[in-house]
Amino acid sequence: MTDPTPSTPPPDVMIRLEGLAKRYPGQSADAVSALSMDIRRGEFVVFVGPSGCGKTTTLRMINRLVEPSAGRIWIDGEDVTDVDPDRLRRRIGYVIQQIGLIPHMTVAQNVGLVPRLLGWDKARIRDRVDELLDLVGLDPAVFRDRYPKQLSGGQQQRVGVARALAGDPPVMLMDEPFGAIDPITRDRLQDEFLKLQERIRKTIVFVTHDIDEALKLGDRIAIFGEGSRLAQFATPLEILSAPADDYVRSFVGSGAAIRRLGLLRVADIPGGGTPPSDGAVRVTEDHTVYAALEKMLESGTDRMVVGGNGRGERSLTLRDLLLAAARAKGEPR
Amino acid sequence: MSFLEYVDRNSDRIAFLTVQHVEVVLLSVAIAAVIGVGLGLATERAPRVRRALLAVTGTLLTIPSFALFGLLIPVLGLGLAPTVVTLTVYAVFPILRNTVTGLETVDPAVIDASRGMGLGSRQRLMLVRLPLAWPVILNGIRVATIMVVAIAAIGAAVRGPGLGELIFRGLSRIGGANAFNEAMSGVAGVVLVALTLDLLFVLIGRLTTPRGLHD
Ligand SMILES: Nc1ncnc2c1ncn2[C@@H]1O[C@H](COP(=O)(O)OP(=O)(O)OP(=O)(O)O)[C@@H](O)[C@H]1O
Ligand SMILES: [Mg+2]
Repeated sequence: MTDPTPSTPPPDVMIRLEGLAKRYPGQSADAVSALSMDIRRGEFVVFVGPSGCGKTTTLRMINRLVEPSAGRIWIDGEDVTDVDPDRLRRRIGYVIQQIGLIPHMTVAQNVGLVPRLLGWDKARIRDRVDELLDLVGLDPAVFRDRYPKQLSGGQQQRVGVARALAGDPPVMLMDEPFGAIDPITRDRLQDEFLKLQERIRKTIVFVTHDIDEALKLGDRIAIFGEGSRLAQFATPLEILSAPADDYVRSFVGSGAAIRRLGLLRVADIPGGGTPPSDGAVRVTEDHTVYAALEKMLESGTDRMVVGGNGRGERSLTLRDLLLAAARAKGEPR
Repeated sequence: MSFLEYVDRNSDRIAFLTVQHVEVVLLSVAIAAVIGVGLGLATERAPRVRRALLAVTGTLLTIPSFALFGLLIPVLGLGLAPTVVTLTVYAVFPILRNTVTGLETVDPAVIDASRGMGLGSRQRLMLVRLPLAWPVILNGIRVATIMVVAIAAIGAAVRGPGLGELIFRGLSRIGGANAFNEAMSGVAGVVLVALTLDLLFVLIGRLTTPRGLHD
């Protein structure tokens, strides 16, 4: 390694984009113009924005499927703007929107392809494939020898995610991975994926059209405007509580205050008195404020007892919840 | 003498010519396959050259085979050489065209995903694109084979090997003893060879099409 240049990012930055731009040949305008951002190690960043604003282009510049017209890219402290793209890509998991499983290969062969290219031995690949299929909730005994077309859309999507994880890449790029799935399955996949991410702690860049998906999944959300203008790059709470401008406000849509309740945990709400003995609903610190409120409204009470997480029990009132929710300004989840 | 009697009495000769016929067809198609698939792959980054090649090889197909055999006599003389060359010329087009079609119709998402996984262009070709294009390429080879089985019969005009000899000899002395039977045995042999090879290709297709691609 050479001496760190002045722009070498600090160790907690996993991906640094610096003045990244792309103009496709024969186009009069930039698809992406002068984009700079730092994405931290283990962070889950979501790109949202209108169609054609350059989300896919940006994602594909990170693994150099699209060569930038200008700017630099650092991954894990290394300037990768000019390294061999094939080797770079084996260190970066990529889930494309259309999934793109290789049809003449079984699920196991698809998932094991990158490890095979990395030169792992057969036994290790087999173990890795089974481990990953388990991880994404597919029973290896049932699915490892199936071909892609013998899978439902949602199962293919999971295999796509498992395949991207196969070489244990520190970075994952996911382009609308849950795009083609019905809302109910999608919701479940999102939940499973969040749980998965708690365990594997990858640095993830995730593209979606859906602001609700972004709010649910992202540690931070990058909202793009026309011409790849980065309108706001902040936590979901900040975006709901303090939208940077009218564009962000309109993009997030109505009901920001209510949606914020779905992002706050009961644990985020301070205070509370000693528990009363009667009539209150019971919740845990892990409940979202939204879910806690719903329980209170259902049982027609204005008090709840919070238990669990070894903190002892405390009680909160409806008023505590509403005040806290109104005060919350972008603390991390 | 009835047709069947004729065939029975001349079975050695007919069998010999049939084997010769199959051999010259398979030899020519094998050469054409190497050329056709090779040209298809070699012109991947040169779409203009590829289009030109398709136009040229396609145009060659419109030359009447009898004329092409004849035109090659000054260059290659008589016998096996002009026959193989002519058959190869005809067989290249369907194979080249299907190679191009097969490679071009591979789902772009699959290629994109393979690129994203870090497969280099060679690995993409060998591990992904060729296996996926194979059924289409094989079908091109099949079409070429069937076409060339019929054309090979004309090769007898330049003393080429195969069943054409029966047809030409029979027709040249039509009205003579067993002339019609001789010609008919050649025609029947050609049809039989075509059908058999067609079946063979269906079988090869079944056996070599990757399992994940079967319906
Ligand atoms: N290969 C290409 N050649 C030329 N222009 C392109 C190419 N790919 C994308 N573009 C253009 O660049 C712009 C950004 O495209 P991009 O695919 O990055 O948008 P996106 O934000 O991902 O959109 P969507 O939400 O619809 O997927 C668009 O105007 C698009 O037309
Ligand atoms: Mg896109």
